[in-house]
Amino acid sequence: MQTPLIALVDCNNFYVSCERVFRPDLINKPVAVLSNNDGCIVARSQEVKDLGIKMATPVYKVQHLIKRHKIQLFSSNYTLYADMSQRVMQCLEEFSPQVEVYSIDESFLDLTGLCANNSHHYGLGIRNKVYQSTGITVCVGMAQTKTLAKLANYAAKKWHKTGGVLDLSDPTRRNKLLKITPVDEIWGIGRQTAKRLHIMNIHTAYDLSIQQPETIQKQFNVVIARIVMELNGTSCLALEDIQADKQQIVCSRSFKRRLTDYPELSEALACFARTATEKLRKQKSVSSSITVFIRTNPHNPEEPNYQRSISSTLAHATNDTRQITRIAKRLLREIYKSGFRYQKLGLQLGHIQNKTTPNQSDLFSLIPEDNSEPLMQVMDKINRQFPKAIKLSAEGLTNTWHVPVEYLSQHYTTNWDELAVVKCC
Amino acid sequence: MQQDKQTRGGARLGAGRKKGSSVYGETTKAIRVPESMIPEVKIMLSQRKLQSTELASVYRPDQQASSISIPLFSSKVSAGFPSPADDYIEKTLDLNDLLIQQPAATFFVRAEGESMLGAGIHPNDILVVDRSLTATVGKVVICALNGELTVKRLKSIGEEIILGAENPEYADIIVKQGVDMLIWGVVTNVIHPL
Repeated sequence: MQTPLIALVDCNNFYVSCERVFRPDLINKPVAVLSNNDGCIVARSQEVKDLGIKMATPVYKVQHLIKRHKIQLFSSNYTLYADMSQRVMQCLEEFSPQVEVYSIDESFLDLTGLCANNSHHYGLGIRNKVYQSTGITVCVGMAQTKTLAKLANYAAKKWHKTGGVLDLSDPTRRNKLLKITPVDEIWGIGRQTAKRLHIMNIHTAYDLSIQQPETIQKQFNVVIARIVMELNGTSCLALEDIQADKQQIVCSRSFKRRLTDYPELSEALACFARTATEKLRKQKSVSSSITVFIRTNPHNPEEPNYQRSISSTLAHATNDTRQITRIAKRLLREIYKSGFRYQKLGLQLGHIQNKTTPNQSDLFSLIPEDNSEPLMQVMDKINRQFPKAIKLSAEGLTNTWHVPVEYLSQHYTTNWDELAVVKCC
Repeated sequence: MQQDKQTRGGARLGAGRKKGSSVYGETTKAIRVPESMIPEVKIMLSQRKLQSTELASVYRPDQQASSISIPLFSSKVSAGFPSPADDYIEKTLDLNDLLIQQPAATFFVRAEGESMLGAGIHPNDILVVDRSLTATVGKVVICALNGELTVKRLKSIGEEIILGAENPEYADIIVKQGVDMLIWGVVTNVIHPL
């Protein structure tokens, strides 16, 4: 059998890179992209990282640095990032028959048998192709297993000498890297596991790799035992070519302006319910568990703090926006208390199952024979053609809860009216 | 009959699992395994299980939906006489086929200014830009010059790069080595409304 070769291709500072493609004036300047409500920093250019600003730092905490170093801020422009991501992934398909899109900015590629002796060269080819086509820089990590490929990628990013491409197939090279990598950096080792490993005197990736998988399995679980085997080049995690349907769907928002009134919160919740049920119907699923959660700002000691969540299980799984909105609103009514300034509200759909899975029916209620399915289909069809054209009246007309973000860039690739302008001068 | 014979217990015909109906897609057998090797064997088996249940297939993202398709031939059927041309309908024309070779690398941008009138680029025209093409002498290119996206004709590449305008009122730009300039893409088409 051929030795497997898995590559992890990961975009560098992806959101920042997307913004820079259309704003070449920002190359080599400090740039940061903010979270949904402009609250926290979720992507940083190298210049911003060098200033010591950590991931997920709230903007107000680094206001002085933003001013002093003229950091260019952007609200997250997910429309742009999704389009650029798709372009990157499309380029990667030229290099492997099996690509697993792992997240918006990283993919696993099966390169087994594709680049016998010159994997480094092949990796550089991937890097060049993606950069030339999209303007996005990627790093390529390669090894026999996914866990090692992930580690190789981490190293390729960290050490510029690698040229952004690193093949860890060679055991000597692999062990050399494992010895200088803290165990916390390994893919799949969480903070709690790392803590326990440290107590057991396992500090580096190498320390972990020389453990017996069965001892680790006894002390932890099979997942960690697999990591040990993966670190030794035995592949335990297969490439998943088809993305699994979501097991739960969460739709939540932190509000830029704190909300106090029930009607406003309720309208926001109805909006989340629409988005969540649209997702549910897109993957042809139904849900039978609804959770609503609400909280004030937990980091503000000067204000009264309140947080609650409440769930309800349905007799019949559904994906009907009307039904889920109705139940969500009822749940919110139960946990809402006036007198608090709410910062976050969310809705979670759980117990998601395929719509065709036979459902255990409720003894005490008749199976609803209604127009739900065709109605939802029509709604989705209209909204696909004219986005957000049809909503429930529960969402209200004004959307006062929604404060527009401040630093949004243009939808350069998806809106004819927002194309990048080129100068003829 | 078969059934009469079997009324007092014993093996029944067709009972039990079908051969090869296990999760591995073949018959299985019980064996003894050294305790230390159990996790390894389990992992191996779980992988085998995955392999037999998952169909390998190539992942393809959604292709961008094409814009309006115009039928090559179209004819109305009147009074029961089908048009003889209907048999000749072969395909519809898609402007994307004509304008876009590399969808992942193709971007649209809007032109501003008059320096490229000679190349047929008017203010407000939409340019089709293919980033995957190599910029060679003679091509109209988008370049990032001093941080600004600019359209020029690439006139020479050597120690100096010469970016030419296509309008006598504008001078060529000579880019010396070390100047902040990068080629962003090659313009392949101009979309100009009349």
